Amino acid sequence: MTDLPVSETAPARRRPLLRNPALLLVPATLFLAVIYVMPLIDLGRVSLSGDPWWAYFDRVFSVPLYWDSLVRTMQIALTVACLCVVFGYPTALLIQRSRGTTQVLIATAVILPYFIAILIRTYAWMVLLGRNGPINKFAIWLGIYDQPLALLFNRGTVLLGMTAVLMPLMVLSIYSSLSRLDPGLTRAALASGAGPLAVFWRVLLPLTLPGIGAGFLLVFVSALGFFITPTLLGGPADQMFAMHITQQADSITGEGFLQALAVVLLLITLIVVGVAGRLMGFEFIWGGGKLAEPAETATESRPGKTRPRRRSLGMVFADTVGWPLLRILGRMPASVGIWTVRGIGFVIISALILPILVVIVISFSEASYLTFPPPGWSLKWYEKFFSDSNWMTAFWNSMGIAALSAVIAVTLGASAAMGIVRSEIRYKSALMLLLVSPMIVPPVVMGLSLYSLFLQLGLVGTYFGLAAAHAIGGIPIVVVIVAASLQAVDRRLEQGAAVHGASPLTVFRTVTLPAIAPGLAAAVFFAFLHSFDELVLSLFLSSPRMKTLPLMLWADINYQLNPVLAVVSTLEVLLVVGGVILARPVLSRSRGGH
Amino acid sequence: MAETLAWREPRRGVAAAAPIEASRDVIGSSISMRNVVKTYGAFCAADRISLDVEPGEFITLLGPSGSGKTTLLNLLAGFQTIDGGEILIDGKSIAHVPTHRRGFGMVFQSYALFPNMTVSQNVAFPLRMAGVDRATSDRRVAETLEMMRLSEHARKTPSEMSGGQQQRVAIARAIVMRPKVVLMDEPLSALDRRLRESIQIEIRALHQTIGSTIIFVTHDQSEALTMSDRIAVMDKGHIIQVARPLEIYRHPQSRFVASFVGESNLLEAEILENRGGMMRLRSRAGLLFQAQSRDPGARGTATVLVRPERIALCDTATAESVPATVTSALFMGETLRIEAELAGGETLLIRCQDTAARSLPQVGSQIHVSWGAEDCWVLA
Repeated sequence: MTDLPVSETAPARRRPLLRNPALLLVPATLFLAVIYVMPLIDLGRVSLSGDPWWAYFDRVFSVPLYWDSLVRTMQIALTVACLCVVFGYPTALLIQRSRGTTQVLIATAVILPYFIAILIRTYAWMVLLGRNGPINKFAIWLGIYDQPLALLFNRGTVLLGMTAVLMPLMVLSIYSSLSRLDPGLTRAALASGAGPLAVFWRVLLPLTLPGIGAGFLLVFVSALGFFITPTLLGGPADQMFAMHITQQADSITGEGFLQALAVVLLLITLIVVGVAGRLMGFEFIWGGGKLAEPAETATESRPGKTRPRRRSLGMVFADTVGWPLLRILGRMPASVGIWTVRGIGFVIISALILPILVVIVISFSEASYLTFPPPGWSLKWYEKFFSDSNWMTAFWNSMGIAALSAVIAVTLGASAAMGIVRSEIRYKSALMLLLVSPMIVPPVVMGLSLYSLFLQLGLVGTYFGLAAAHAIGGIPIVVVIVAASLQAVDRRLEQGAAVHGASPLTVFRTVTLPAIAPGLAAAVFFAFLHSFDELVLSLFLSSPRMKTLPLMLWADINYQLNPVLAVVSTLEVLLVVGGVILARPVLSRSRGGH
Repeated sequence: MAETLAWREPRRGVAAAAPIEASRDVIGSSISMRNVVKTYGAFCAADRISLDVEPGEFITLLGPSGSGKTTLLNLLAGFQTIDGGEILIDGKSIAHVPTHRRGFGMVFQSYALFPNMTVSQNVAFPLRMAGVDRATSDRRVAETLEMMRLSEHARKTPSEMSGGQQQRVAIARAIVMRPKVVLMDEPLSALDRRLRESIQIEIRALHQTIGSTIIFVTHDQSEALTMSDRIAVMDKGHIIQVARPLEIYRHPQSRFVASFVGESNLLEAEILENRGGMMRLRSRAGLLFQAQSRDPGARGTATVLVRPERIALCDTATAESVPATVTSALFMGETLRIEAELAGGETLLIRCQDTAARSLPQVGSQIHVSWGAEDCWVLA
């Protein structure tokens, strides 16, 4: 009996090979290697197949259409990231400063949209800004102008839509870094004679810079590969780089050149992430502490453990430029600051929630076109949705694919998370990086690379093919959530069970599994949701006979904006609300992913 | 309002910075709390608390968790708003003065050092916030670090230092402005015992040097006894007793104070005779003894405090002694801790010095204990 606990705590190399938890990493790694890494390598190979090898790349950089679009994409991504920081910080502060029910409401208003499909949130903006939408109606009612304006399809709406879509990412990133600060620091600064502005400038801002940086990069990188929102909200002058890839994919001439376009987008993304990762650690991708090195979690609770000497340049700037400016602002009464934060927070929360509410209201409209407020109420669009065989087939396809995809993602992802947290292998960080990297690869690039693989394997337009493709993005979500809940399990409980005679399997069943069960449930839900919402990969990988719900939505949005779309959106919102309520206990501990 | 404005003026600018060379740098402020009330929903954290603190006094708020001591400190610091009553500093209300204009120094349990700044930057923080010029600030920081024996750590970051060093930095930051009031919120509770004792002595010496009024919050009674000029014992949002440490220890006003401060034997007894304060009592178990009381007219029953170290242990019976049976005997280092049961069933805790002549009594053995009338304190 006594040899059990001994072998449980013994170093990994003395264990029998099959008992090594590192083995749990094998299935997910193999899966990703075949379906994710190989196609990307193949993509690179095809892009280099020109004569000479750089011919396709030469075309990307020499044709003004693409070069301009690349520059425009960078500009838009940068602007969106900046807008997110400027408006996201006050919102995060507002969440952190408020208490009780107010805090829960504000946090929910930020988190909820985070889990609703980008397609649906973009559609909501189209409704809001449409010719007969609430904004136009309201402005006319106020008498600001008397003919509805064309608010859609320009650079402004692209920036607005993308900022609104990516805002939750930023707010959550900054909030998690704010909430990890010792509240005593603010008090210490106040007690040392620092006014509210000085507290912000000298203490909060420097200490949350890592969170701001992480949020900025996540938003910037996501925005680089954005496709849905600019396509729907932008005009001809707002073509982003990812949109060229899908357009080229539809024409036959693109082979080679098409891949070069994708490789350029991928390389830019990887370079940005790589540089950022070198500077601040790759942990920013999954928005957590150092998952791979559990021993360091103790020091991780003090996020300011950054080298202050390197920041001395920033401090000089803060002293010479920022501080005098703030001193001028400081002359204003303290309430101005408080109300600025509240005002910005209110605007952001309305921008996140209002579009969704408008869509829900519209789904009950009587009118057969989009107008707000609805001239009358009816359930006819719900009837239409549930009686239309096309919509229903797509709905059940999506459900089936999402369920299958969730099974794949959770099986592979959860065991990989276990392997990451519990094994003592080397290159853990590198493996973790591989597991979560699908989060940052532009979906357009991934879709394109998968297309040729799926053609060879005959997987295009199949249930399994789509489910597997969606699982690539599902695995990172599962790994992050499950790893976080595994790390929250007190190792001493497991050791305690083992000391008292439980076999490793019994320990897992009676101690570990119950402790991570909420995390697993959340992982299942978010993996399901990820697949259910997935559009870009499906655009590449489905056949005309194989329609998913997002594909139907996409086709209809481009074709006609009828209220059935609002019905689908409302149902999705209901699904998310239900899931988030179920997953709340876990959400408070870890941050999911889209 | 005009008064409060005038009060905060001197803090801004160099004029407020007093010279360090003088033996006592500043004259601490007097603090006067009058019927201070703070409620959280139905819970009353501070229930009409009144307390007057003399300029330059070291006063400790002592109480168990939830007694309201930290609430009181937070109200003083301005982290929370007062629901009723007022707090006067040097006779002026601070109700409308925000925390950063109160000009206090503060030390926190969690140290609360800014992790993005070096030790000297941390200590310089209050000076910079007050707009003190660079040269004066540098000199002040150097002097304060010297005083706290931290000079060689000036360029380190807080995370590179031990807990005790970090807390000394926090103290340095709190006193660098030579504030008239320093608030300390359980500053030593995160440290181990040995370190705690050495910093206790350090803070005490510091108080002598700088002369600020210090409000010190702790739940550790021995800390309170060693450091304070006066102790305010708190329980359930009230101040139960305010007195000098010796007075609190020897003459507690209530059962709560008696049992919270130090170890105690509390005997319920019937007053048989009260001759001008000199009482003859009989405990519930029938033990007869004498005690001195403040109240020459008390009748009925009383609770009598006998401190464990006041009980004498003798091997043979004497006229005053009573027999007892040892139920537990522990060697604690400098003292022996003995629990013994009296014939009537009452249990006494006894502490006696470890001397060469005395051996640890066996559990179950018979001993004889005695105490004099002057060793008893009759509680109200």
